[in-house]
Amino acid sequence: MTVVNSSTSSAGRRPRGTDRQSRAGIAFVAGYVVLLIAFGILPTGYAVYFAFTDAGGTFSGFSNFITTAQDFRFMDAVGHVAVYLLFWLVSLVVFVVGLSLLLHRLSSGVASKSLRFFYYIPGALAGAASVLVWLFMLDPSVSPVSSLLSTLGFHTFGEVIAPGNLALLFTIIAFWTGAGGWIVVMYGALNNIPKDVMEAARIDGANAWQTAWRVQIPMLRKWIIYMVILAFAAGAQLFVEPQLLSLASVGVAGRDYSLNQLTYDFAFQMNNINGAAAVSVELLVVSVTVAGIFVARSGFFDAD
Amino acid sequence: MSRTNPQAPARRRPTRNLVPRLLSGSVLVVFLVFFVLPVIWLVLAATKTDQQLVHGNPLSIGSWHAFKANWDALSGFQDNAIMQWLGNSTLYAVISLVITLCVTIPAGYALAMTEFRGRHSLLVATLVVMLMPTATLVVPLFLEVNAVHLIGSMWSIILPYSFYPFGVYLTYIYFSTAVPKDLLAAARMDGCTEIGVFRHIALPLATPVIALVGFFSFVANWTNYFLPYVMLPESSQMPIQVGVGSLLSNVPSFNPAVGTTAIERPQLALATLVAITPVLVVFLFAQRFLVSGMLAGATKE
Amino acid sequence: MTVTKPSSSQKRVFTARRAALLAGCATTVLLTVTACGGGGSSAGTTTKDGFAQAPQKKDSTLTVWVDATRMDAAKLYQKLHPEVKLDIVSYDGDANGSNYLQTKTQLFNRTGKGWPDVVFSSQNNEASWAVDAGFAAPLNKGLIDDATLGNFAKGANDVCTVNGKLYCLRNDLSQAVLWYNAPLLKKFGYTVPTTWEEYQALGEKVAKEHPGYLVGDAGDSFTPEIYMWASKCGANHITGPKAVSVNTTSEACTKMAKLMDVLIKNKSMSISGVFSTDFGKNEADKVLLMPGPAWFGGAVFRDTLKVPAKQIAAAPIPQWKGDSDVSTGNVGGGTWLLSQHSTNIKAATDFLKWVTTDNAYQGEKAPGYPAYAPAAEVWLTGQGTAGYFASDLSALKNASSQVWSQWGSGQFSQEAIWAATVKPAITAGKTIESQLPAWQDSIVKYAQSNGYKVSK
Repeated sequence: MTVVNSSTSSAGRRPRGTDRQSRAGIAFVAGYVVLLIAFGILPTGYAVYFAFTDAGGTFSGFSNFITTAQDFRFMDAVGHVAVYLLFWLVSLVVFVVGLSLLLHRLSSGVASKSLRFFYYIPGALAGAASVLVWLFMLDPSVSPVSSLLSTLGFHTFGEVIAPGNLALLFTIIAFWTGAGGWIVVMYGALNNIPKDVMEAARIDGANAWQTAWRVQIPMLRKWIIYMVILAFAAGAQLFVEPQLLSLASVGVAGRDYSLNQLTYDFAFQMNNINGAAAVSVELLVVSVTVAGIFVARSGFFDAD
Repeated sequence: MSRTNPQAPARRRPTRNLVPRLLSGSVLVVFLVFFVLPVIWLVLAATKTDQQLVHGNPLSIGSWHAFKANWDALSGFQDNAIMQWLGNSTLYAVISLVITLCVTIPAGYALAMTEFRGRHSLLVATLVVMLMPTATLVVPLFLEVNAVHLIGSMWSIILPYSFYPFGVYLTYIYFSTAVPKDLLAAARMDGCTEIGVFRHIALPLATPVIALVGFFSFVANWTNYFLPYVMLPESSQMPIQVGVGSLLSNVPSFNPAVGTTAIERPQLALATLVAITPVLVVFLFAQRFLVSGMLAGATKE
Repeated sequence: MTVTKPSSSQKRVFTARRAALLAGCATTVLLTVTACGGGGSSAGTTTKDGFAQAPQKKDSTLTVWVDATRMDAAKLYQKLHPEVKLDIVSYDGDANGSNYLQTKTQLFNRTGKGWPDVVFSSQNNEASWAVDAGFAAPLNKGLIDDATLGNFAKGANDVCTVNGKLYCLRNDLSQAVLWYNAPLLKKFGYTVPTTWEEYQALGEKVAKEHPGYLVGDAGDSFTPEIYMWASKCGANHITGPKAVSVNTTSEACTKMAKLMDVLIKNKSMSISGVFSTDFGKNEADKVLLMPGPAWFGGAVFRDTLKVPAKQIAAAPIPQWKGDSDVSTGNVGGGTWLLSQHSTNIKAATDFLKWVTTDNAYQGEKAPGYPAYAPAAEVWLTGQGTAGYFASDLSALKNASSQVWSQWGSGQFSQEAIWAATVKPAITAGKTIESQLPAWQDSIVKYAQSNGYKVSK
């Protein structure tokens, strides 16, 4: 590459040593770039290549996209994921930010610390543990919350996992496992808001609500945007929750529910890796678009 | 947060704040129950027999005897395979943790605090790659790892584990929101080299984010199921998550065709508890650092 | 090229160009990787026993994949044959449609190495993809002699047969019989029904005289394989390698659906599913009769429901009145496959033959009813000696050759389709009869999406 460092000419406006800084920056990211290319860009590029070729490796245009979209489960899955995303994003943003603020206001350090720990625990419970837990939680005949379930009108496991309830159930399960980690992140971010800023708000006579709304949340902006971008992608790629409910209910609920489940089905059940790649690319495009909108609106990339 | 300012409003505060305080307290408690109740159930389940699990009160305690029997049955599964799985998981998670930290923290720092060519593209590429669904990445990864002749070696999962874009972004956001550039500029004025600035100024300030990235990457690697499931050819190489998954397929309620009851549900519950203990220990350890490096006051704008 | 400080729009173009360059680099590396990965092991094969065999290496290590239950078999073989170099790998046995074997085979096919020599699968439908994938080796073209193959129960290896070639061997059978609680039946003064009409009448009687007791269960995903299959309902007739005929509204289907609807309505047939916690908690001691596969005896009654010894007995499954062509259903049963890519086919074949036919495992240790008839005799004697059951298990033996042959094992899962389509409707209080068209519709869609040609 023969391109001369584009920032040289701006040296006049910047503090000296930009050149040195630039070289150091590259050195700092070098190790990461190697991993990024090997395990990020290359596999993603390969998947995109799959999406536009057939099994024999010849270019096939959009035919993989068309055939997969014509699968009888495709449109249903799109609808499911859309509804789920709505529930999931709203609950995550509202409750994670809300709980972090409440925890941050707790005067007892021990209580705040233990609560964060307890909120986090489910995050460590992956796979098999979740299957077992939710099979028993949602089955009124053995559930610790069976009285709650029967108040809501559910008397058998079959009624609880009726198709209409699934989006909500998956939101609950995903929130149960995922929220604790984000609360830890948000709490840490709240801690980094300089004390004098908070103090200034207090002296101005702002109450807790006003402080949160006018000072803390704006200062968490980057973190919240990061969370929304990732949560959107994770939600669009819904997979684990329906899969585990499907295991717990021996196939009654949650099979072929989401788009990402379809990609696994295409890739490993129907031996159609190209179709799977096509659906993956669609999901990627949607997630990147949403991310792009948020990034553009927020100056997320500015090294300010 | 401690409010030490003993001024006039402070006297009125207790009564004025009682209602909101009660309200926020009860919200925290409701969520506490939501997060913890299933976990308590799981812990109790490990102390019961399968019969008790179904017939008894869901929140009753079983017996030491039943717990012991569950443990014996679990450790008897394929000659104490669970300990081997734990050992494997620890090996994979710790090595990749070290590589992750060595690579991720400097990268996030550089992206936030220095201007260099390609910075923007790197941020974009990282984000895009992070948003890619994983299902179709398996085949390319497998081919790559095969091309460098690492199939069957533990590096076939450790190296992909070490690539942790999520952590790069955590570090990037942390530095760009919490560490003032002026601080670094001042150090550079004083004649610090770039490495020096990073080592003596940035790293000490970065303790919370190092703990955060380290912890999340440890958990991500520890709980990863699909990659080792597909990559590793020998059952003796299985990490704990894959192992517990194979236990699950030996429970008749989940796999009616299993034939003989090799594993009962309380034993599975116990196995899952064994599997998460290291994560919780690491969390408690990391939590001490998450708050310790509070930056308040480090900046004087 | 010297670039002066780019304006913001120039900068964007610049970034885009750099991104393109990066993509270009990636593509180059990618093609290299493809080239490396593409090399198959097609060179040096010799065609023998009906397929192209890789160069054989005597004494090379035999890699065997088994599930946890079949681990005992592999270990026993190693003990009895210490000279064989065996690498035993335990995996989930493709339980719950995990597709592990298929996934890995796809990957191995791309890298040209890594296949196991012999594999156990708890699924019956592996041949439906393993032949196309070039993984399963034909067994009846020289590897295994016809005398041995002839000793498998009639129809046992149908699921392994594609275009007249046999691609796997059946491990165990899961023929359906009528399980019942002998002392309880005697106490109530009933006799074992032999026709479905009698069975329904008994169910109605039980509902009146002993409400709460059960004559069957319709809540499991394998319900259609017990009732609909036994009733000769043509929901799953695999007519060719990629062809299926589906008709769920014939009389054979509606008759059985109506019978079940009556019994579900009067609550003598449960809709919980025998492995559900609800069943275990509330209905475990209420089982009077229970149509179910061979493995219900051990896995459900003895191990899950903990029914005491000397209570459970097996009778032939009922037939429709006046139907002389006796038939029953089947729920699962594992298979063994041998890899075409094995470099030690002799050792692999020896292992395969031993594990499916030898009395040391199939006769004496196997948990399920052996598909190999001589081993099944020994197995039945062993069950008699163990003394758990209240009757002899001759009903199992008779049923082993009566499984209706026009219900196949396609690549799509009938169990999953029933569980997702019909089961929620039953839970919601709808009749099975009303769901038959929806069931058919769903089967047709899944079959087509798996590339099957569907006829009615």
